[in-house]
Amino acid sequence: MNKNSIDNIIALSSDLRWKIGDDFHDGLAEGIYADASEIANGSVSIDNEKKRFRLDSKIDKIVTSKTWGFPIMFMILGVILWLTIIGANYPSAMLANLLLDNMHPALKGFASSIGMPWWLDGFLIDGVYLAVAWVIAVMLPPMAIFFPMFTLLEDFGYLPRVAFNLDYMFKKSGAHGKQALTMSMGFGCNAAGVVATRIIDSPRERLIAIITNNFSLCNGRWPTQILIATIFIGAVVPASFSAIASLSAVIGIAILGIFFMFFTSWALTKTVLKGEVSTFNLELPPYRPPRFWKTVYTSLIDRTIIVLWRAILFAAPAGAVIWLISNIYIGNESIATLTINSLDGFGFLLGMNGVILLAYIVAIPANEIVIPTILMLTVMASGIPGGEGVGVMFELDSANATGDILKAGGWTLLTAVNLMLFSLLHNPCSTTIYTIYKETNSVKWTTVASILPVIMGFVITFLVAQVWRLF
Amino acid sequence: MNYNPVFALLIFFAVSFLGYLLFRPRNGWFWLIKNNLKSNEKTVIEDILKQLYHGENSGNEVNINSLTSALKFNNSIIVDVIKKMSINELIQFEGDVLKLTNSGRDYALRIVRVHRLWEKYLAEKTGYAKAEWHDMAELKEHELSPEETNVLATQLGNPIYDPHGDPIPTKSGKVADVNGEFLSSLAVNAVGKIIHIEDEPDVIYKQIIAENIHIGSQIRMVENNNQRIVFYAEGEEFILAPIVAANITVAVLEKDEIVEENMVRLSSLKENETARILGISKESRGDNRRRLLDLGFVKGTKISIDLISPMKNPIAYLVKGTSIALRKDQASKILIKKD
Repeated sequence: MNKNSIDNIIALSSDLRWKIGDDFHDGLAEGIYADASEIANGSVSIDNEKKRFRLDSKIDKIVTSKTWGFPIMFMILGVILWLTIIGANYPSAMLANLLLDNMHPALKGFASSIGMPWWLDGFLIDGVYLAVAWVIAVMLPPMAIFFPMFTLLEDFGYLPRVAFNLDYMFKKSGAHGKQALTMSMGFGCNAAGVVATRIIDSPRERLIAIITNNFSLCNGRWPTQILIATIFIGAVVPASFSAIASLSAVIGIAILGIFFMFFTSWALTKTVLKGEVSTFNLELPPYRPPRFWKTVYTSLIDRTIIVLWRAILFAAPAGAVIWLISNIYIGNESIATLTINSLDGFGFLLGMNGVILLAYIVAIPANEIVIPTILMLTVMASGIPGGEGVGVMFELDSANATGDILKAGGWTLLTAVNLMLFSLLHNPCSTTIYTIYKETNSVKWTTVASILPVIMGFVITFLVAQVWRLF
Repeated sequence: MNYNPVFALLIFFAVSFLGYLLFRPRNGWFWLIKNNLKSNEKTVIEDILKQLYHGENSGNEVNINSLTSALKFNNSIIVDVIKKMSINELIQFEGDVLKLTNSGRDYALRIVRVHRLWEKYLAEKTGYAKAEWHDMAELKEHELSPEETNVLATQLGNPIYDPHGDPIPTKSGKVADVNGEFLSSLAVNAVGKIIHIEDEPDVIYKQIIAENIHIGSQIRMVENNNQRIVFYAEGEEFILAPIVAANITVAVLEKDEIVEENMVRLSSLKENETARILGISKESRGDNRRRLLDLGFVKGTKISIDLISPMKNPIAYLVKGTSIALRKDQASKILIKKD
């Protein structure tokens, strides 16, 4: 073919395209879909179409009704969270007993019997081993309870109905109804919540769900909230009300998190996410009896073990860092003490102190070790008796004893309130950050998701502290 | 340390206020300065050419006075630039009226092409709201090189019209015709199809968007006088002021062109009613449109309401044996005929 005839063909094609008009793409697409459905209609026979109209639609009428839709939803989520938090206490205590109270001394004894130098023994056993053991003891039980229950609901087909009920509220803030599900999943673990956003197929809404997932209090943060609320909030009211006061404080923080989730979603759609494509559709699949054992198995393998493994990978170096900064000296002070002193001024502005800020820096890999780290650093920095030694994280059996140490470290009610707020509003743990990067494949959005909550945490705790001191 | 909570709060609010002034959307100083640095001579030349082109198309004469009032640049800059443009033979004077030369018209067409292509791009490939397309294209039209423009056109499948119904000039400067009349001059009882919605001025365009009038929809005029214009489209009644209606162009349809008389929007379907889908409105674009087609919202499909959510929005529809929830604004862009 010579060049001339090619040019002719191109000219002819653009001429024809012009004559066909703009509707041609649409017409073609619609024609293909219409033909496909006609072929399917002719060759596929459906005999169980009637089934859907019996039991399924009856359940649907109840779970999406005006009167029952919301109460049923909140009850189910409440029961799951309650079972997770209360139920996890027992296996957690057992694991802690085994890994921390028995294994740790045993390992130390073994190390000294083979004559390991103190620094290697401290680095490996007090640093790396302790952090990993802590993460396993605190993280494994709640996840092993939460994920199977959540996955069973998912398998049953109830969760899309929740998204359906709540979509209107999420739409107001520019988000997708399915974000209700990823948010609930975040109450278990933010990393798992971020993975769960795969169910949202609209790019903009998925990013919103990923960035705001951190506002769901995760399993690693519930114990911190409960402990601090018990010690400090419970103490300001008469003893008979202390349980209810500390419980409402924790629930209040969780609800505040939901409020921040809505607010941030709204702000993101109005600003940085304005140009991302946004679509909506939500399929309500028929109900089916959950396949119990298969679900339990896959949720344990897919969600629990993978997340736990990632957490361990990040916790090990964190433990090493915690031990090292407490044991490496520059001049007369350890790195930890120097850092605490330099952070104290900023911490005071935020109504907290240098110990808390340093604990949140070194505990980026896992929220679970924040309290043990704070206790260890407080004992070290203030020189009060107690603890397990320099660079060795510890926790006490009684909340009162913990409270005594913290109060000796200069804590007030304001410190406690701001710690609870900062525990809600700070950067996601490194497991979650890594997961966000894997899911979005973008440094930009990973940075936004990591930095945004810390900035909000700084602003909120700062404002609370100033207003508190005014009165 | 002289610490005082009041002092700390004051510093904080001063810093946030400064940040707000600098970075608030649209009028933040940072953006203003950034845009100002960009608005060089090229921008002024191109904006003048566009004004002349639009004047030529609407039959209005353009002189220096009307230019200075229409463009937001410093008057002395405009006068300067006009001098240069007539030396470079982009424009010529006929008395005090400015006219485009042939090369000036080619240049103007190129700018219009980029503007409309970019609006098409924003509509098809991004999530920006309709009201923002025009302003964004106003900035982009000065930035894209001819090669980039052609790549963009190919990616979009060489569209002929932009999302408002304006023709997009081709690479060689060919422009499709828009044959229609203003909605405000359509006779009572006549049937037409909306083919163009003007996006300037902003105030009127926002009113049209708020009314939920969709391009491509078939309308029947009911009442047309100096006070108001009433017409039916897709089963809904619309009432507009004549000045608003003048920004909408319709193509008058003859008897045999009238596709469907009882076409209504899916959003008007009630519980226990059944209907057949006639198609998806032109207002549903890009990914949204493809997703709907994928889910089986195609011509001829039977549809009914399956479930209504507690807040009445979204509503789940039964399509091909599957229950699919759509939001109200999506349902308003699907056209059906009730059984």
